[in-house]
Amino acid sequence: MKSKLGYWLSAIGLFMFCHSSMAQDAVSGIAVVEKLHTSLINVMRESDSLGYAGRVDALQPTLESTFDFHTIARIVTGKYWKSIESSQSERFIEVFKALSVATYASNFSGYAGESFETISAETKRGNLLVKSAIVKADGDRISLDYVLRKNDEVWQIVNVIASGVSDLSLKRADYTAVIKSEGFDSLIGKLTDKVANYASSGH
Amino acid sequence: MRNECRNFLAVALLAALCFIGGCASTPNGDPGDPYEATNRKIYNFNDSIDRNVLQPVARGYVDVAPKPVRSGVTNFFDNVGSINVIMNDILQGKPGQFLSDSGRFVVNSTIGLGGLFDPAKEMGLEAHDEDLGQTFGVWGAGEGAYLNIPLGGPSSFRDAPGFLSVMLLNPLTYLNPVINIPLNVVNAINLRANLLEATNIRDQAALDPYTFVREAYRQQREFKIYDGNPPGDEFDDYLEGEGDSAILKIY
Repeated sequence: MKSKLGYWLSAIGLFMFCHSSMAQDAVSGIAVVEKLHTSLINVMRESDSLGYAGRVDALQPTLESTFDFHTIARIVTGKYWKSIESSQSERFIEVFKALSVATYASNFSGYAGESFETISAETKRGNLLVKSAIVKADGDRISLDYVLRKNDEVWQIVNVIASGVSDLSLKRADYTAVIKSEGFDSLIGKLTDKVANYASSGH
Repeated sequence: MRNECRNFLAVALLAALCFIGGCASTPNGDPGDPYEATNRKIYNFNDSIDRNVLQPVARGYVDVAPKPVRSGVTNFFDNVGSINVIMNDILQGKPGQFLSDSGRFVVNSTIGLGGLFDPAKEMGLEAHDEDLGQTFGVWGAGEGAYLNIPLGGPSSFRDAPGFLSVMLLNPLTYLNPVINIPLNVVNAINLRANLLEATNIRDQAALDPYTFVREAYRQQREFKIYDGNPPGDEFDDYLEGEGDSAILKIY
C-alpha cells in the first residue's frame, strides 16, 4: 500500500517535472553537457589510435556545437572587445576556437577508467548551471560545472568551472593583461603559438 | 558569551589585517594587487627555484615512488596537519565537520597506522579542507592585498597568517630537528609532486603565468571559503554586456 502511494506520488512528481519549461531547459542543458562528455570519453578511449590530430578532428564538431564561442570571446577580452575591429575579432574567435579544441585534444588523451557524472541543473539569472564531476577510477572526484546560455532556442556552454576555478575569469584576467601591455595583435600571436605548441607536443 | 568572544577576535584580527595591509592602492593595475611589482619579482624568484630544483626533484620522486607510496605519504602529512583543520572547524562553528575530522584523526592515527592509510574514508568520514585564512573569510574578512611569499607561493594578507597556524598546530614541529627537517623535505617534495598536474596546465595555458596563478588562487580560495558554493553576486564593471557577470560567477 505504502509503496503504491510512493509510486503514484513519484509518477505525479515526474509528470509535473517534465511539463515545466524550467525542467525542459534543464533537460536540454544536461543533454548538451553530456554530449560533450560522451565525446570526450570516446576520444580518451581511442586516444592512441586517433593520435593528436585524430582527437582534434573528432572533438572540433562537438565543441563548435556545444560552446558559444562568440559570447566567450567577448567576455575574455573584457572591456577591449568593443574597440577591436570586426575583422580582428573574427580572427580572434577562430584562434580561440582552435585553442579550445587543441586544449581538450591534448588534455583528454589516454583513458584510465574515468567517468563523468551529471549531478544537477538549475536556471540562474537566465543562464543554466549544470553541475557535474569527473570521477577517477580510484573514486576521486573533480567538480566540473558548466554555465550555459540560450541562443536561438539552443543552450550552449559559455563557462567551465573546474574545482571552483572559472575558466572564463582565468582567461579574461590573463588575456586582458596581455592586451593592456602588448596589444591585441600580440594576444592573437601568443594564442596562435599556444595552438602550435599543443600540436607539436601532442601525443 | 562565546559569540562575543568570537566577534571580538574577528574585529581584532580584521583591524590587524587592515593595519598591516594599509589602505594602499595603485591607480593602475589590479586593485587587489597593490604590490604587484614586488610580487612579480618574488614570483620569478620562486619560479626559478621551482624549475631548477623542486620540480626536477618532484618528477624524480614520482618516477621512483609508486602511487600507493605517494598516497601513503600524502595521507601521513594530511593526518598530522588535520589538527589545524579541526581547530578551524571549531573557529568556523562547524560541529559536524569537527566531529568528522576528529574521528578521522583518531581512526587514521591508530587503525590507519599513524596516518599512512585512510580507513576513515571507507567508514564514511570525509576529509575537510579548512585553514586559518578560510576562517577569517568565513568571519567576513576580505582577502586583503595579494601576496607572493618567498618559497611559499601565492597568498594574501588574509591567508598568510595561516602559515603560522599550520606550523604551530603540527605535532612534527615539536620533534627534534634531526627528524623534523628531513620530514619537512619529504613533505615539500610530495606536495610539489601532487601539484605537477596543475602547474602543467598553467604552463600550457597561461600567457602571463603570474596573472593566471593570481586569478586561479583567488577563485580557489573563495570556493574553499564557501565550501564549494560561492555566492558570486558581485557586480563586475569590466563587463558591459548584460548577464556577463552572471556567467563568470553564477553560483
